[in-house]
Amino acid sequence: MRDAYYITARELAENGCEHLPEELDSSKHMIYSSPATLDFNSPGAKGFGVKRAGLVIPESVMLLIAPGCCGRNTALLSDLGYDERFFYLCLDDTDIVTGRYVNKIPEACKELLEELDYTPSVIMLCVTCVDALLGTDMERVCRACYELTGVKAAPAYMYALTREKRLPPMGLVRKSIYSLLEAQKRRSNECNILGFFSALDDKNELYSLLSSAGIKKIHEIGRCKTFEEYKELSRANFSIVLNSEARAAAQDMQERLGIPFIELTRMYRLDKIHNQYRLLGQAIGASLDDSAYYESAKKKIDDFKARYGAVTFAVGESLNADSFELSLALCEYGFRVAEIYGTVGERNFVFVKKLAEISPDTRIYSNLSPTMMNYTPAKEIQAAIGADACYYHSGIAGAAFNSEAQVFGYRGAEVLFDELSEAIDKKGGVS
Amino acid sequence: MKKLLKYISPLAPDDSGACSVLYEMGGITVICDAGGCAGNVCGFDEPRWFEKRSALFSAGLRDMDAILGRDDLLVKKLAKITQQIDAPFTAIVGTPVPAVIATDLKAIERMAMKKTALPCIALGTDGTGLYDHGEEMAYYRLFEMFATEKLDVKKGKLGVIGATPLNTGETDSVRIKETLDKSGFEKIVCFGMDSSLEEVIKASECERLLVIAPSGIKAAKLMNERFGTPFDAGYPDDSRGVLLPGDDAVKCTCGLKGSRVLIIHQQFYANALREKYERLAGCDVTVGSFFMMDKDYMREGDIRFRDEDDLAKAAASGKYDIICADKRFSRVLKGFDIKHFPLQHFAVSGTLNRDI
Repeated sequence: MRDAYYITARELAENGCEHLPEELDSSKHMIYSSPATLDFNSPGAKGFGVKRAGLVIPESVMLLIAPGCCGRNTALLSDLGYDERFFYLCLDDTDIVTGRYVNKIPEACKELLEELDYTPSVIMLCVTCVDALLGTDMERVCRACYELTGVKAAPAYMYALTREKRLPPMGLVRKSIYSLLEAQKRRSNECNILGFFSALDDKNELYSLLSSAGIKKIHEIGRCKTFEEYKELSRANFSIVLNSEARAAAQDMQERLGIPFIELTRMYRLDKIHNQYRLLGQAIGASLDDSAYYESAKKKIDDFKARYGAVTFAVGESLNADSFELSLALCEYGFRVAEIYGTVGERNFVFVKKLAEISPDTRIYSNLSPTMMNYTPAKEIQAAIGADACYYHSGIAGAAFNSEAQVFGYRGAEVLFDELSEAIDKKGGVS
Repeated sequence: MKKLLKYISPLAPDDSGACSVLYEMGGITVICDAGGCAGNVCGFDEPRWFEKRSALFSAGLRDMDAILGRDDLLVKKLAKITQQIDAPFTAIVGTPVPAVIATDLKAIERMAMKKTALPCIALGTDGTGLYDHGEEMAYYRLFEMFATEKLDVKKGKLGVIGATPLNTGETDSVRIKETLDKSGFEKIVCFGMDSSLEEVIKASECERLLVIAPSGIKAAKLMNERFGTPFDAGYPDDSRGVLLPGDDAVKCTCGLKGSRVLIIHQQFYANALREKYERLAGCDVTVGSFFMMDKDYMREGDIRFRDEDDLAKAAASGKYDIICADKRFSRVLKGFDIKHFPLQHFAVSGTLNRDI
């Protein structure tokens, strides 16, 4: 039995991104469905997977066209009140070989509409690996459904097979959910925030900063209660993209609706956040004064450090942050990060390199490595950040830091340290 | 339209059933999928995932693996794991992806055995069948491959086949054994629940077998043919006629007297509950199931449901005063002039006995 595989930040940085060890490359080994990271496995599993995300359009319903196994865990969403919005066309073994079910989809849509006492805004047609392999033309299927029922249909591709493609399932579904928007006269004092399926938390400074720049209305799909509100997204003057998985959706909106976009990154290093707001101000032609937010976040971090000392953390990846950027931020603030459970790629290797300079001995694990079955928690770790890290270190203080209300900017840093303080106090201090 | 579910979500699929049987056997189990199926199994259909470690992995297939049919890569990855984790055998569980591309699972089984020098079981599940079908396959292949040696029969040893969370709503064998303790057997083994492959290898030691779900019948028949081991089909039931703790419908027969009742569950559980209702409350009971119904244990009038429309028809037939069925069926039964007594079945709602 082999111990859980890890590599230090220094070793990893020295090897370079192009020479990742096999254990950190999920295409080179079987995938361990660690209880810590179940949401990796299924694009429909927890939080906002493809299925739940597809239903973020107000008044929509979903028809899942798949073998029973693909819709099994949808029962988890029942507790969230989705029961009456899900329908299933279950495929049998002949279906998946011949693709004969495709012709039945419009009829299935018609029949499900008869069950409803309202007309939905759209029927989301959720398809899975079966259609990825059969090459089903979902645009054509959607048109056929519309012709038969008069209700719009849009695809939601739950293609786990294409997870590492340029446009993965969670990118495709983001594109789908904005695809019903139609061009209308844009308003110069309105903008969209794209990237998440739920809204930013109410206290986020981005609202105030945009307001100070003259933005009167900020649209977010997570705040839309009705289809009418949803339609207002197409009158925005510009969009702010807070998650790169929404880039394809923003590009589509730019091409179809003429709405340009600016992309921001969720970070936890205060100086970088400040710089990003400065650039945002330049892009929209306003000076954004973020000094009060900067000072408040800085004070929060300083107070935490004064109270609990230079805490040693374990940082996971099931959280509202990039594991490596957050770890780098924590090290820069004077804390220690002993372990990271994360996925290394081109996108975040720059943080690994910087981390190697200030914390070369940080151990980097891959949650997906089969050897993680044998992981044993290190004693030096005093607090865990991320749902997965909390799972591995259930005996110590931990902040899951993965709430549905999304955090961003300075507010993100404040929420993190608030959650950590609460968790540590609950445990009676750091061990 | 057939196979269009408007009120219920899909029931536990065959790949979940196969994994459920293999879970505690100590082998390395690989779900031949892109990740979603493994997520469904580990995150929903396998409640032991959060309690007991098992070497259960996803093959992590990607589109090019499927398009190019990279079976050798799959076997290579499997061989790599066997060097990291000690295991007496490997198992490969099929899903829709290998079914669509017509993967030759038998060939992979042979390749894996050659490469790893370990026994391998490849199960041709495809995610379109129901859990009991997958369980049946897994039980049969396990007993076929490993229960080959004729050992001396140990008097008083009872082997239980069918003890999975999907059939019982239990994650360990404690309550099953507690109930069976009163049946006079000294040693009780629940194959695959708190017991590993070792007990399957020693299965011929059992004086009798008790099959508690239809998915175990085929394996029990094999043992009967191979070693002459007798088997019974039934569900743990102590002298007071109390089945394993369940919902109100199980605990109490108040208000049932003389009623016409339809019980919906896995067949052997429902049969046991039928006997109880008939004996204690003089009910006229019909058994129905969305899962396997073994003809040898069916009565005339028992129903095999193919989809939710069949259940709606039964509810509308006027033949029943009460339907005992999982709470997940409540939306189908709504609006009919019948009483719905909730009777949880993990393979339907994912509810464990302890969660009631």
